Amino acid sequence: MEAMNHGSGAASDDDLVPSEYLTFTLGSEEYAIDILKVQEIRGYEPPTLIANAPPFIKGVINLRGIIVPIVDLRIKFNLGKIEYTPFTVVIILNIAGRVIGAVVDSVSDVFSLTRSQIRQAPDFSGTFDTKYILGLATIDNRMMIVTDIERLMTSADMALIDSASE
Amino acid sequence: MTIDMSQFYQVFFEESAEHLAAMEGLLLELDIENPDSEQLNAIFRAAHSIKGSAGTFGFTDLAETTHILENLLDRIRKQELGLRADMVDAFLESGDLLREMLEAHQGRGEVDPNAVASICARLRQLSADTPAAAPQSATTQADGAMKHEKLVDARTFDIQFVPTAVSAKGDGVSHLLEALRSLGALEILSQPASDMNNVGYWQLRLLTDAGLDDFSDQIDFIAENGAWRVVEESVVNDHNGAFGIFDDSPGAPNEDQSYGFFEPLNSAPSLVSAIAEVEAKDDGYGFFDPLPSAVESLRVVETAVGDDGDGYGFFAPLSQQVAVQPLAEEGDGFGFFEPLPPVTAPPSQVSSAVAPSAATPKPVEKKADELHTRAAKSAPAATASDSSIRVSIEKVDQLINLVGELVITQAMLLQTTAQMQESAPERLVNGLAQLERNTRDLQESVMSIRMMQISFVFSRFPRVVRDLSAKLGKQVELKTSGETTELDKGLIERIADPLTHLIRNSLDHGIELPDTRIAAGKSPVGTITLKAYHQGGNIVIEVGDDGAGLPRNKILAKARERGLPVSDQMTDQEVFLLIFEAGFSTADQVTDVSGRGVGMDVVRRNIQSMGGRVEIESMLGVGTRMTVRLPLTLAILDGMSIAVGDQTYILPLSYVVESFQPQAGDIKTLSNQARVIQVRGEYLPVVVLHELFNIKSCSNSFTQGIMVVVDADGIKAALFVDALVGQHQVVIKSLEANYRRVQGISGATIMGDGHVALILDVSAIAGMAKTSLQKVG
Repeated sequence: MEAMNHGSGAASDDDLVPSEYLTFTLGSEEYAIDILKVQEIRGYEPPTLIANAPPFIKGVINLRGIIVPIVDLRIKFNLGKIEYTPFTVVIILNIAGRVIGAVVDSVSDVFSLTRSQIRQAPDFSGTFDTKYILGLATIDNRMMIVTDIERLMTSADMALIDSASE
Repeated sequence: MTIDMSQFYQVFFEESAEHLAAMEGLLLELDIENPDSEQLNAIFRAAHSIKGSAGTFGFTDLAETTHILENLLDRIRKQELGLRADMVDAFLESGDLLREMLEAHQGRGEVDPNAVASICARLRQLSADTPAAAPQSATTQADGAMKHEKLVDARTFDIQFVPTAVSAKGDGVSHLLEALRSLGALEILSQPASDMNNVGYWQLRLLTDAGLDDFSDQIDFIAENGAWRVVEESVVNDHNGAFGIFDDSPGAPNEDQSYGFFEPLNSAPSLVSAIAEVEAKDDGYGFFDPLPSAVESLRVVETAVGDDGDGYGFFAPLSQQVAVQPLAEEGDGFGFFEPLPPVTAPPSQVSSAVAPSAATPKPVEKKADELHTRAAKSAPAATASDSSIRVSIEKVDQLINLVGELVITQAMLLQTTAQMQESAPERLVNGLAQLERNTRDLQESVMSIRMMQISFVFSRFPRVVRDLSAKLGKQVELKTSGETTELDKGLIERIADPLTHLIRNSLDHGIELPDTRIAAGKSPVGTITLKAYHQGGNIVIEVGDDGAGLPRNKILAKARERGLPVSDQMTDQEVFLLIFEAGFSTADQVTDVSGRGVGMDVVRRNIQSMGGRVEIESMLGVGTRMTVRLPLTLAILDGMSIAVGDQTYILPLSYVVESFQPQAGDIKTLSNQARVIQVRGEYLPVVVLHELFNIKSCSNSFTQGIMVVVDADGIKAALFVDALVGQHQVVIKSLEANYRRVQGISGATIMGDGHVALILDVSAIAGMAKTSLQKVG
């Protein structure tokens, strides 16, 4: 919703004010998400399995007394080799009042991007629905997929929330 | 301003609700024949507090209604009016109305203005009734100052005050004037200009036989913080000569216009009052009533005058106040009272003193020490009355979480040293042992923060019983015991409704009408007992009555009528539990109290959702007892940890019946699909957990694992697990907070090693097993 407002937004101020984005890699692709949604980044530890959950939901971990579900985005998007090394990281996200962990291959950088730097992504079909993509940005000749992580995580696809709003 | 106030609204709502509850409790306890003055005072105080804060926050409707209520209470308290049962009713009703108003202010529901008007009128009328036993023989209703001389016992009070903007805007001032008029002859000596909207300086003279206490509270309420005073004039002598007159009273310089707004009082017949506010410099104590210093330093010559000789005095003329002494003993931090300049000095000098203080003669009735305490009250010394603080539940839960983490960390350290075995330094081991004790104590005390006394719930029932028994024409006495039993706040909130239902049920169906009772050889007054106590890890709440008891045959007949599967062979317990079925009612007629069959099923559902259960014992003609068993807290569960593959699950201990190692061939199949096992003559469905949860098990055959027989509300099943690990008390954490509901899982917990273990939802699993069997069958 928010994203759509921004997209059609006449608010030119928004276009100039840069927001910070955290980028991470899934396989060979680089993704960027709004850094304000990120609570912390930590190493991967084997979670407790949840029975009959979809394969990309690895289970739940104990984050200082809070039970946090862990989603492996690589499994969800069929990207890269699914292996858990000491360098595998979990981005703990704070989304819609919930705490969710996302497993990614690595976290690379934090960039400032203005609205105008984010180009609209072309329509394409695939597992990664374009509705979760805010756009594409190029930094140092690398393409970043700017993702609406809140929309993605709260979507019915992710099966993270009981009655998903989608 | 409004924004500033609104942040306190919640506190006001909570406090007022508490005051209302306290008032209601006290009213119900009152012995109408012989009311305890202490109780009456407490009721009055509760009403007064509500009025006070309602006025402060600008909830005029609340303030006005409480004001009328308070007037009546005040007269009763002073024994001007005898307490009658209809008054108590009116009080209770107005209490309900006030509660509605409070809720309306919080945005819930609306208040019927007609109801407000009618209760106000009723209270006024009750209040206007002729005094039952008027102790004062002299007329109290004198109007006009003409009767001045005739009033033998009457005393004249000089009243000065500056009303608050809020009360002036409302009818506060006119109410006050009205109230004062009712006490005696009132003369308005000075009042603010009409365009001031009543805000400003008022001076009144009241000729009354009532005491100062009778109206000082009311003035205190209306007036700006401390900006009022009442001086009794001596009725002897003329008004003008005996008192000194200050030409100009130094008002405290203050930005707030309400303070220090004093008219020159040349014409005043009595001593000038000046309400001064001493701004203590930087010491954070706020302002103080400067009166103690003033009284002392002025060396007030106290002369008891007046025919009753009750210590009221008047003050010597100004010329006698020669020496002015600084107040030495006040120098201990309670404010800086500058040595007063000689009072004979020009007024301008007085007000230019660094700490402006006013020479304020006081009625000597207010003893100096009392004034000291008053001064100290505004200081932080208000500790004695504040024995509790309000903390949001979130903060407490956060604390509980953190302590839980601490316990886990401590367990981890302990485990590490245990692995080090001999090589662990002794001091480290000792330190850790101490840490363990301390963390356990800490955890216990933190958990106890959430605990509340069940009296919080019980206290509402006297009212329920009183109202309902009156409505039904029954005589019922409610006996409670074990009110101090503590349970989790979350449970307290949720148990109130089911308990109310049970009590209403006992009253309506259990207790018979007085005639029937007498015919049955019982006392016409029925008894409902409400009892709470700890038993094992449970809280037990019993609702008992000495009524008719449950009619077994009638319940069975009704159940058959409704097509429920019943037989005459059912045990009493099973038959009685039928009353918890939805839509079940044995009442011959539907009343507005009960009989629709809605309620008891809700009661059972609510109690079960809290992890508790209900039992019924009943004997025809003797009575019924419903026993509610609840876990101590929602947050902690006694669990058995079981291993399935490499995962650990928690099985709530309350569901576990027994466990055993199955022998080869014990497990039979139905249609080669569903498996059953015979346990003590019963065939139970077998739930293989690793199949249910899709986990790789480490036991290849049934003989390698353990069968755990569980009983969830009568549905039994045998769970097949790899091993039993141990028994723990676990802290229940929600899985839904960050994830969603998972079938077969009721929650999660954190184990000693920091890992998450899921808690099995035994009812759901047993239910799944049952349906899978039914499908096959």
